Amino acid sequence: MKKNTVLGMLLVVIMILSLVGCGGGNQAPADNAAQEDATPSEKVLTYSVLTDMPTLDQSLVNSVASMTLTSQIQEGLVRLHDGKVIPGIAKEWEVSEDGLVYIFHLRDAKWSDGVNVTAYDFEYAIKRLVDPATASPYSFIAEPVKNAMKVNSGELGIEETGVKALDEKTLEITLEIPAPYFLGMLNMPHFYGVRKDLVEKYGQDFAADPDKNVYCGPFVLEEWKHEDRLILVKNQNFWDKDKVNLDKVNVIVVPDPNTALSMFENGDLDFVDVPPNLVEQYMDKAQLYYDGADDFLKLNMDGKNPLKNKNLRLAVNYSIDREDYINITTNGLYDAGTRYVLPVVAGVDKKYGEEYPYEAFPLKADVNTAKEYLDKAVAELGVSSPQDIKLELLTTDTDNSRIQAEVLQDQIQRNLDIIVNIKQVPYKQRLQMETNHEFQMVFSGWAPDYDDPHTYLCLWTTNSPYNQISYSSDKYDELMDFSSTCRDPRERMDALFEAEKVLLEDGAVVPLQMRRVAWLMDPKVKGLVKSYVGPREDYIYADIQE
Amino acid sequence: MAKYLLRRLLISMLTILVLITAVWILVRFLPGDPFTSDKLSPEIKENMMRYYGFDKPLTTQYITYLKNLLHGDLGYSLNYKNLTVARILKDSFPYSADLGVRALLFAISTGLFLGIVAALNRSRFLDYFCIIIAIIGCSVPDFIIGSLLQYVFGVKLKLLPVAQWQGFKYTILPSIALGFYTLAYVSRVMRASMLEVVSQDYIKTASSKGLSDVQVVFKHQIRNAILPVITVLGPIVAAILTGTFVIESIYTIPGMGKYYVSGVQTLDYTLILGSTIFYGVLLVIANTMVDMAYGIIDPRIRVYKK
Repeated sequence: MKKNTVLGMLLVVIMILSLVGCGGGNQAPADNAAQEDATPSEKVLTYSVLTDMPTLDQSLVNSVASMTLTSQIQEGLVRLHDGKVIPGIAKEWEVSEDGLVYIFHLRDAKWSDGVNVTAYDFEYAIKRLVDPATASPYSFIAEPVKNAMKVNSGELGIEETGVKALDEKTLEITLEIPAPYFLGMLNMPHFYGVRKDLVEKYGQDFAADPDKNVYCGPFVLEEWKHEDRLILVKNQNFWDKDKVNLDKVNVIVVPDPNTALSMFENGDLDFVDVPPNLVEQYMDKAQLYYDGADDFLKLNMDGKNPLKNKNLRLAVNYSIDREDYINITTNGLYDAGTRYVLPVVAGVDKKYGEEYPYEAFPLKADVNTAKEYLDKAVAELGVSSPQDIKLELLTTDTDNSRIQAEVLQDQIQRNLDIIVNIKQVPYKQRLQMETNHEFQMVFSGWAPDYDDPHTYLCLWTTNSPYNQISYSSDKYDELMDFSSTCRDPRERMDALFEAEKVLLEDGAVVPLQMRRVAWLMDPKVKGLVKSYVGPREDYIYADIQE
Repeated sequence: MAKYLLRRLLISMLTILVLITAVWILVRFLPGDPFTSDKLSPEIKENMMRYYGFDKPLTTQYITYLKNLLHGDLGYSLNYKNLTVARILKDSFPYSADLGVRALLFAISTGLFLGIVAALNRSRFLDYFCIIIAIIGCSVPDFIIGSLLQYVFGVKLKLLPVAQWQGFKYTILPSIALGFYTLAYVSRVMRASMLEVVSQDYIKTASSKGLSDVQVVFKHQIRNAILPVITVLGPIVAAILTGTFVIESIYTIPGMGKYYVSGVQTLDYTLILGSTIFYGVLLVIANTMVDMAYGIIDPRIRVYKK
């Protein structure tokens, strides 16, 4: 027996040695291991993203990750950096008296293949964005542009789009409404120039790999191993290249946030978001930023829904204890939503929240007020007691969503005595049910496309395609219409604030939370900016100082 | 032999066709659709449906898909808009296969070894030791083993890298984590099989013929005992080679495991179909090879007619 065991062990040792032997040969490509490759004087930034970018085609980007990265390798007419609009490819511009016509004067700039950046690239890009044949999921962003939505729905031909290159260095954009936030919107990748010759050459493969696109931004995409990593290098043809300090950027795809945190602590990443469940341990070292997302319950006012009753909606709003909710579900990481519009978006001169402070609903539940509204609701709905009112709360099928829903269910049931049932479905299904108005209360949210309260408020006009709760208020529509055409910034902002008040006084939504993220950064990194709108992380002027 | 293989091939193709049809129909029953997103409007959705041909009747879509498939065209991913499904699978499969092969080598060699040792030392310390390892491997989920190994050896002891796939030392922890369940399973099956074989007449014959213990074990016992292990290995090999979502996620390995999950979450019809077909084909190949291996190892079981 002993001989067998020994021989058996020998066999295994041989097998394991063969495993080791394999290690030399057929391993996956191991080049560009970040830190080890950098020469001592090279400034390299390394960070991770949760998912790879589904696409880097300027007209098709549909995710925060894609849009963020695109803004680091491309340059639009203007750039939104650290909350300010600064000139990009356009060195200056004029706006007509009525605020409807913008003329951009482009500077001398080159694509990474040496070809000049021209106004024709931008005209082509915007027309391509709204062309129904492109089927861009984000074409709605061009709404302020004249005829854009009609072209997108096929009503008008593409030549009718309100964008025209007057010559190589001059671009004219005509708007439907004098939207003051339009300039900031040009920071979205969908408005960046696109090279027509390359789109025609590569067809649907355009931008699938680094060599299938060209770049005019601070960095050039040098390598893209899908689902693994991207490597950016400083663009030597960038018009503002002297302000760019980094030589190289490594973007690693790390789907697991805990793994990313471990990598950061190992020194493999230069900054990282702290997973929400571990935030408490890092509170003293972490910084916080708003990621722009604003979560709320949508209350369906369709047909026979009990929530058609305004008093019931207000009762629900006052029955929620937002402070407890935030503490239980996020350990205080998120900000409680006592109003609807994210307070840190731009107002006229200062932040919107500073210029228009507002607490629509108290931080703690106000059970007395809630019960007052409830009594009226019970009478108007013609039921004998609150327990006859049954509401369904629809949410996603993740663990987090379940906890959120359970806290809300508990608060509403306890404070109002009505019955709340929770229904969890996969994300896509939830979205479809929302589109079909198949819900009573749904846990939903919105992220900003541009730095203005309008991005949050535009959802609730009577004709908005995103108004899935059949909310219709003449006053609200009036205020929103007025704000769209008003030329005076202060009057316009006043009107938007009034609209926010109308929305919340009608109890159309139940504001819950404004999301914040805790993040850690290696102190040697300087000049890196996180933002709630535009690129999530912006490192075009970042620097590494050992 | 050739007739056998041909028949096998035809049946396999029919199986794959049934698989494709079933999945093709089933994905369209999943609630929601690939294009629905927070910011979708009806016009945009219409544009996208037209772009991908989803506005055509279902039978037309199905036939178009099959026609393209015959040309090797799995279509473009609905989510990764500029990448073909074939490209996505081609990029990610080598990582999964690499990880899988290492995990399997580790699992099979160690599993067989443990099973043999346990059987040969029945009811003694080595046996119990191997059984305990087997029970742990079968009961503890792979994400716990994976996370534990990562934490202990990567973060705390800093002996091995925490994640990624960039050289031999990166492959050690994920291979062990991925292979652990198979190791446990193989060792149990091998142990049971060895114990069954040892009571067979031919073992007594071999022993009484004067063969040494080593010769008995290696020439007769293992060879006969290994058959059940090969049976279970067929599906296991296919499953491991196509990547596992969990281990690849924890260790940040860009394999194809994630597409089985993310494809369904994003309702990426083409990717779901493509990756399912890939798995199906691999499974069919693995099972065929298992059957052929039987014939080689045990002349009694020749599943084809001479």
